[in-house]
Amino acid sequence: MKSLILKLKNVLQFIKQKEGGLKEYYRTHKVKINRLISRIFVYVFLITIAYVFVYPIMKMISISFMSSTDLVNPEVIWLPKKFTFSNYAVAWKVLKGQVSLFNSIKYSTLLAVLQTVISAITGFAFARYEFKGKKVLYTVLLMSFIIPIPILLITQYNMFSNFYTQLGWFGNSGRGLGTYDSQIIMALFGQGVNSAILILIFVNFFKMIPNDLYEAGKIDGATPLQLFWHITIKLSLSTIVVVFLFSFVWNWNEAYVTDFFVGDGIELFTNQLGKFDSLFPSRASEGRTEGDALQLVESFKMAATVISIIPLLILYFVGQKSFVEGIEKTGITGE
Amino acid sequence: MAKKDMVKTLTNVSTIENQNKIAYLFILPWLLGFLAFVIYPFFQTIYNSAFQITSAANTLVYEFNLNVNGGNFGTAFRNLYFFPQLLDFIVMEATYVPTIIIVAFILALLLNTGNKGQSAFRVIYFFPVIIMSGPVAGILRYNGAGSLFDYMNNIIFKMLVSYSPRFASALSDLFANFTMVLWFTGIPIILFINALQKINTNLYEAAKIDGASSWQILWKIKVPIVKSTGFIVSIFTIVQIGTYSLNPIYNTIKGSIYSTAGGIGLASTFAFIYTLVVFSLVGIAFLLLGREPKSKVIHLSSIQRASLEAVHLKRQSVNKGKVNES
Repeated sequence: MKSLILKLKNVLQFIKQKEGGLKEYYRTHKVKINRLISRIFVYVFLITIAYVFVYPIMKMISISFMSSTDLVNPEVIWLPKKFTFSNYAVAWKVLKGQVSLFNSIKYSTLLAVLQTVISAITGFAFARYEFKGKKVLYTVLLMSFIIPIPILLITQYNMFSNFYTQLGWFGNSGRGLGTYDSQIIMALFGQGVNSAILILIFVNFFKMIPNDLYEAGKIDGATPLQLFWHITIKLSLSTIVVVFLFSFVWNWNEAYVTDFFVGDGIELFTNQLGKFDSLFPSRASEGRTEGDALQLVESFKMAATVISIIPLLILYFVGQKSFVEGIEKTGITGE
Repeated sequence: MAKKDMVKTLTNVSTIENQNKIAYLFILPWLLGFLAFVIYPFFQTIYNSAFQITSAANTLVYEFNLNVNGGNFGTAFRNLYFFPQLLDFIVMEATYVPTIIIVAFILALLLNTGNKGQSAFRVIYFFPVIIMSGPVAGILRYNGAGSLFDYMNNIIFKMLVSYSPRFASALSDLFANFTMVLWFTGIPIILFINALQKINTNLYEAAKIDGASSWQILWKIKVPIVKSTGFIVSIFTIVQIGTYSLNPIYNTIKGSIYSTAGGIGLASTFAFIYTLVVFSLVGIAFLLLGREPKSKVIHLSSIQRASLEAVHLKRQSVNKGKVNES
């Protein structure tokens, strides 16, 4: 900071020294000044865009603290006059927080673990081995990314429904439709959310592991499984973290497929938030005296939204580097 | 022939093992899942679209109806919601995807200049990828948090409305959801930055020596090289917008499964038509961005070459003269 002020003083002196000093200064420092100006423009632009990015989130957080009087008060734009945390308490109750938080974490973790394991195994085969039909299969794998979900989902739903009927599994017994069983089975067979991308990340990373290591392992008599475990997996822990994190987040945010298979069977943050309006009347006033029913206002909804993304935000700020570098280094760029 | 084979085996320093059976074992779970949960459902759903399917006593009854009034396809065309929604979807893709690609490319360029604090910006630009789920985006959009500008009173916009209402409504949708559009750029930005960083900086040096301005460097070097990434980004964006759970078509398809009039057959038809649309969008993206540029080969006659060389020599001598003068 001090050096900056000194610099400014020097510049001012230079300009004051003689007639037309400013022009002279510009002539001699043309490149520097131009670069400074362009840099300022770049920063202003980036900050503006960043503002647009976070605007909905900031608005959401600010509204979530507002009382109902603040909401209609035209003077209140960003900062509420009185911060209330009661919105969060109500929202937590409507979301059935303690149940749905646990469920969301539990099932996202389970699916993410399954997806990571299967993607790693599949990626290993595509990256290290040459086999008949590899090119076709790999192309088909990549192509499968662009197939819209509904066209698969309709038949998948029928298949599972048939399958469960034959097994005698019905939702109420904790198996079958209305539970996560279908998605767990699909994840087990490498067909979870965005599986193609996860496999692609692994393939690209495994290809970078030097072949010498495998040669050395083979000379020492390692079996393919040992090569996979001791060399591939142990060298790619960072990639595994990346894939796990992405899978976790995608499974957490997945709403359409979950809505088909799970429906109302299990309370999750996403489906509770999706039905917030209809859940509100019955749940918000629970334990309150009669005639004291709460009105549904925006603040509650915003508070609920904040609650439901807080776990993801925590995850992002902890694993922020992994997320960005995961896409960067392992290159979905597809070369 | 034998010699050829031997040369081949000697020179073929493969970095990949040739143990097919083991590879099949590794790939088996995915392959089974792929056959059962992608290939089979894909074709089954297409097959379904030709039938009126009713469920009786837990079994599905198929009744061929393609010969009556165009069957499910006829019903789909006559459906009040489906085709307007499909049109909306196409307009949405057509406006969002180019915007996302251009904005992501510009941001990637600005984030790749080596200024300070760029990683902080990258963190901000990437975070929507993490939190954007259907319900969250739905609530934010519903509450108008997605729109920023008061574009409706803009004179240019008013002129547009009177000139072409359809174009204006597409544009207004884009502006109304501009934040949401930006939220799709998280991964494209990273992909573009990645592609830009891979460009050999010697190319810039060479271009500068030849007197190219930074504008020319952008158009003649960066854009052509990044074009292939642009194709991947466009596919990614098309799919992302499609799977975005606010997509109204998804709900129409889902709703028609349970309706008595439509059933699984009609839902399959909707899904099939929708899939065709998505595929053709990807096809258009491929035509626009995916093809390798043809390199031009110019054949010069000996006279032309000689004259070019003469010009070159002349220039060099002129330049030398300049240097000597100064």
